Amino acid sequence: MRLRRITLALGQALGLVALGLANGCGPAPVSPAKPQSITTASGVPMIVVPAGSFKMGSDDHEADERPRHEVSLGTFLMDQFEVTHDLFVKAQLPNPSRWQDDSRKPVERVRWREAKLYCNERSLMEGFTPCYDEAKPGWPCDFAANGYRLPTEAEWEYAARAGSSRLFSFGDVAKLKANGWFADNAGKRTHVVGTRRPNAWGLHDLYGNVSEWCQDIYEPVYYQNSPVQDPLGPAEDGTDARRVMKGGSWKASASMCRASFRKGQRTGDTDACFFTDYCGFRCVRRVTPTEVQSLIVKGASEK
Amino acid sequence: MKPIQKFATAAILCGVVLFQAISLQAETVREELAGSSFKLVHEAYANNNWELFVTAVNGKSSVNLTNTPDVNELYPQASPDGLRICFLVDSGKGRATVRSLWVMNSDGTGRKKVTDRARQQCWAPDSQTIAFLPQEYPKFNVTDYYTKGISFHHLPSGKTREHVNTKSLHHLYNISYAPNGKWIVATVHAGMGHRHTNLLIEANGSKVIDLGIGGCRPTFSPDGKYIAWGAGDHELAVVPIDIDSDKPRLGKKVFQVLDKQNKIYHVDWSPDGRFLSFSRGPNGKGDITKPGTYEAACEIVGVHAKGWDIFAVQVARGGSITIGHKPVYEWMPLTRNGHSNKESDWFLPPAAK
Repeated sequence: MRLRRITLALGQALGLVALGLANGCGPAPVSPAKPQSITTASGVPMIVVPAGSFKMGSDDHEADERPRHEVSLGTFLMDQFEVTHDLFVKAQLPNPSRWQDDSRKPVERVRWREAKLYCNERSLMEGFTPCYDEAKPGWPCDFAANGYRLPTEAEWEYAARAGSSRLFSFGDVAKLKANGWFADNAGKRTHVVGTRRPNAWGLHDLYGNVSEWCQDIYEPVYYQNSPVQDPLGPAEDGTDARRVMKGGSWKASASMCRASFRKGQRTGDTDACFFTDYCGFRCVRRVTPTEVQSLIVKGASEK
Repeated sequence: MKPIQKFATAAILCGVVLFQAISLQAETVREELAGSSFKLVHEAYANNNWELFVTAVNGKSSVNLTNTPDVNELYPQASPDGLRICFLVDSGKGRATVRSLWVMNSDGTGRKKVTDRARQQCWAPDSQTIAFLPQEYPKFNVTDYYTKGISFHHLPSGKTREHVNTKSLHHLYNISYAPNGKWIVATVHAGMGHRHTNLLIEANGSKVIDLGIGGCRPTFSPDGKYIAWGAGDHELAVVPIDIDSDKPRLGKKVFQVLDKQNKIYHVDWSPDGRFLSFSRGPNGKGDITKPGTYEAACEIVGVHAKGWDIFAVQVARGGSITIGHKPVYEWMPLTRNGHSNKESDWFLPPAAK
């Protein structure tokens, strides 16, 4: 049993229709009025992020955010919250976090490789095929596998925007304090996940708390040649390249919390100790529309 | 003679003079160890698996002590009396790997398993007891601080006991006993309320003292008057300590080894306290195409470290030594093949006493 308990958070019917249309008739801008959530077999709440298209990047900010360009994505599931200490321990992984005072806080000081290892552990716990091949150098990602992985940069920004084209999904920077933990309100520390408002699709902490690893190699000019459909980032070259880190953190200025802000972060994979105390992550999993429907129906029957 | 010929001749002469100078200086440190009977036991990756080698510091021999193509042996620690070596064995693959603690005579005979899911062991001063760190969870993880508690195995009785404060001890690594048996020094990462630091832990009590120094992998000098540790990826340092005090404090740094290009790790004292050995090599995250290895920072146990060798310096000189720069007489390589030579530990074999 891959999904043991499934719950519909809100507005199941509307979302189903939207998903079906989006996937059956090709990518189209979708902004379901009400998000859907499920709970995975290992007890992790995830949001069904509908297939659709959006404008990625910004023409008005940093050079690496240009040009603003069209991107289309299929349906995927994304963790509603950042991965917490509790989840790391459940996967029998050593928690590297600086702040250990509350197990509901997001893990930080996580190397890129450790984030991938967690994804694989969760895949195995839930009976899925791991995306990362731990037997090959660099642990290459099999995007066709049904397990968990880190989001692509495009998936992350699409989910963060939640249908909005503004700097923040909730509007302007004046509302950031209510929607994310960042330098002006975090008190120089992380906070329990989900204690700021979610975005329109029900995802918490994308605009703060800890910044989040993405799958993609960081390349400042990648947007100039990025494919429209499901961009995966620059081709892997076997080096320990910097990876994209998205989202604000307890340490970040408001400007760094913008949906389109990009950072190239050293992976830490060759460091004996990794002290970057704002590096966290969350997982995604690709699903077909058919699978989404079955999950929702199954969840409804178990409810 | 044409100008170009004069220049070439001068360059060759300069090269010869420089080479001779370096060779003469290199003999200085080599001579210090030439008459020594000390040996080093260290791990190395040979013939597609991990083996333990015993290398004479006088440069006269290096022997594959284990020579077991189907068994991965790692992290050797020689007992203070030089009679035994405790070490780790990795069995299985990936997350199903079981890392076990073993002990054998220092000539390689009499191998015996102590326990499974243990790591980062060291000897007590009595040469009869092995302190080790139990694995944090049953599933394998290559991370060095993947530990919970401290345990002690007494070889004559075969009994294992936990540290009196074991439930509070979390995420320690690289433990090292003080020669007076009173303290254990260790690094902690993300555990026991610490971000990352080095701790003095009372061996038979509950006292824990934060030494307030960063870096990792501290180890006591044989007389207990100093601690050497890795102050950073490119620095080893030595400071005095008063271990007979109830509140030991560190003095100011008296010696350091620097390497601007390569990583330097795994420092260990010679039994007479005059020399330090350490591992040195380029940064990397391993090569998991090699059986029995993992992908992580290459200084971590079980990660293949291409180009890494064991080096020695004379700590008695004091001051600062920079590896890779002149004068070379202050340091010398003890291995040269670059076969992931790491985790060296000095000892004096019984036959040499």
